[in-house]
Amino acid sequence: MTAPAISIHGLTKRFGSFTAVDDLTLDVEPGSICGLLGPNGAGKTTTFTCLLGFVRPTAGTIAFAGAPLAPATFQTLSYVPERATLYDEFTIAEHLTIYRRAYKRYDEARARELLAMFDLDPRKRAGKLSKGMRTAVALTLAFSIRPEVLILDEPSSGLDPVHQRQVLDLLIDAAANGAAVLFSSHQIGQVERAADAVAIMKKGKLIVSSVIDDLKTGEKIVEAVFAGPLPDLDALAADPRIIRIERAGSTVRAVTREDSDEVAQRIFALHPKSIRTIDLNLEEIFMNAVSEDRT
Amino acid sequence: MPAIFTVDPRSGVPLYLQLIEQVKRAIALGSLQPGEQLPTVKALALDLTVNPNTVARVYRELERDGVIDTSPGRGSFVRTDGGAVEARRAVADVAQSAFDLAVREGKSLGLSRAEAHDLMARAIARWYEMETDA
Repeated sequence: MTAPAISIHGLTKRFGSFTAVDDLTLDVEPGSICGLLGPNGAGKTTTFTCLLGFVRPTAGTIAFAGAPLAPATFQTLSYVPERATLYDEFTIAEHLTIYRRAYKRYDEARARELLAMFDLDPRKRAGKLSKGMRTAVALTLAFSIRPEVLILDEPSSGLDPVHQRQVLDLLIDAAANGAAVLFSSHQIGQVERAADAVAIMKKGKLIVSSVIDDLKTGEKIVEAVFAGPLPDLDALAADPRIIRIERAGSTVRAVTREDSDEVAQRIFALHPKSIRTIDLNLEEIFMNAVSEDRT
Repeated sequence: MPAIFTVDPRSGVPLYLQLIEQVKRAIALGSLQPGEQLPTVKALALDLTVNPNTVARVYRELERDGVIDTSPGRGSFVRTDGGAVEARRAVADVAQSAFDLAVREGKSLGLSRAEAHDLMARAIARWYEMETDA
């Protein structure tokens, strides 16, 4: 086994008495795309700044392909922050020149291809660009070095839907060529499409970390409607396969962690009038996860 | 490459299961012929804008199910040996899940076993008689 492309172990970052990231452990393998979800203030951006060495973690270790962060890491790592950091007085072409000189893997043809894809005029000064165009320049630079590790904070902010889709294709193309991608997004649909793995953070803690398809396979709602008064559900509530049970009138809903078919059979034994299993998409799973305490 | 597959990533049904079903359906209906080459993992991932690992999982499971053959460097192909058998099994798989869904829906609406039988018989009568008329 080769080391994960990105390996975060026990990462903790405190600012005074505030814990921004709390004991986070997460790996991203080469060829994998991990979507990082979480409400504002969950610690996503702080995790990224720790990963990139911009702030020093309070505790924990970070490794890229088994090695700690070093200047050489940046030859194969691209980071796109939520607000693109560009030199406002420089043109887009001049930004490419900086990359050509700084990065051994810089690929001019690729950069030109991406500029064309984003409809960017290389003669324009960065200071004159809209937010979406700045993002597009940052993405162009990020992909121009054919990185092995990509870390992106809200990579499509300000982009129109067509360009957003193209960004997802860029991530997919990079992963298909063996890159590891970690990106945060508030657009759950993007994660659901492009990512194979998802990590959900809440108040600094990692509350869900899974392959998305496995999460969907396990987490479902078994809904039963009873004719008379509801049966005793205490035994059911203790079932480790069930995350929680909701009651509304004559309806019982059990949110399952796994084995929803077996849970359904167990509830069926309580003689409901009807029973059905409801699939949950990532947005529903996300809302469930952040609205409750899960460890 | 013809875009013969469509997936709905926002569905609660895992993407890899959606794709497996679609490939089997395409083989069953003959739009994918025995011996025909499937797109590469990367090409299909980009065509559908879905994760390449998810597509790779689909191909692994289809190979395990005996539906396709993958050889390193050459690509993935619909199996030719026993292809008809696999296609029939694929049809049965697709049909089975459709019937399952219908029966489960009926049951969730509170139908008795007799009522479910009756509805199923009526549906069979309607669609199979239509075929005979035509």
